[in-house]
Amino acid sequence: MEITILVFGQIKEITGIAAWQISGIKSTEELAAKLVMQFPELALMKYAMAVNKILIQTDTELNENDTVALLPPFSGG
Amino acid sequence: MEKKKHTVFISGAITPIFIADSIAKHSSKTSIGGHNIFLGQVRNDVIDGKMVVAIDYSAYEEMAEQKFNEIREAAFAKYEIICMHIYHSIGIVKTGEISLFVFTSSAHRKEAIEASTYLVNRIKEEVPVWGKEVFEDESYVWKKNT
Repeated sequence: MEITILVFGQIKEITGIAAWQISGIKSTEELAAKLVMQFPELALMKYAMAVNKILIQTDTELNENDTVALLPPFSGG
Repeated sequence: MEKKKHTVFISGAITPIFIADSIAKHSSKTSIGGHNIFLGQVRNDVIDGKMVVAIDYSAYEEMAEQKFNEIREAAFAKYEIICMHIYHSIGIVKTGEISLFVFTSSAHRKEAIEASTYLVNRIKEEVPVWGKEVFEDESYVWKKNT
């Protein structure tokens, strides 16, 4: 099962890449835990997650071909 | 009531000519009695002794377009608006230039003014756009909305 990860803004500077695929992850909390191991600086970052362009508030199950985005606090306008 | 879908993002600053043209396009819509225009301009904030010279905007464009549509639909449902347009810059916008253009029109001014405030508030809070405040020496900080 493969999902796509997208990162933006300041988080992109931590990861060094904007998008990649990952497999074997079943939920957004599991993903967050895996990412913080890979990129320890993420632990200091405040961010929201969107699954398939919808913001999520709680742990969310992930399915094949889902896209998860890590979104730092917005600062448009 | 017009509910035309269009692209919100504009590369670089939103020019006064673009804004003037947008106003001119409404002269044929004679049921309109009031327009309200909000223009967001890039400010020369001083942060730790360094002056901001530009903001470099980036976005999760697919999600942002979806969010802009959702906010636009909500405003149409909430206010008696005849016409509504939203434009946001992407990329570099220098201080003194315009990066957000929200344009609402209604038969009477109250609705246009209220809808405009509603739109700007929701845009700032809910749309995945990020601004990088760039200083003269090309260093930068990530903008925080207040």
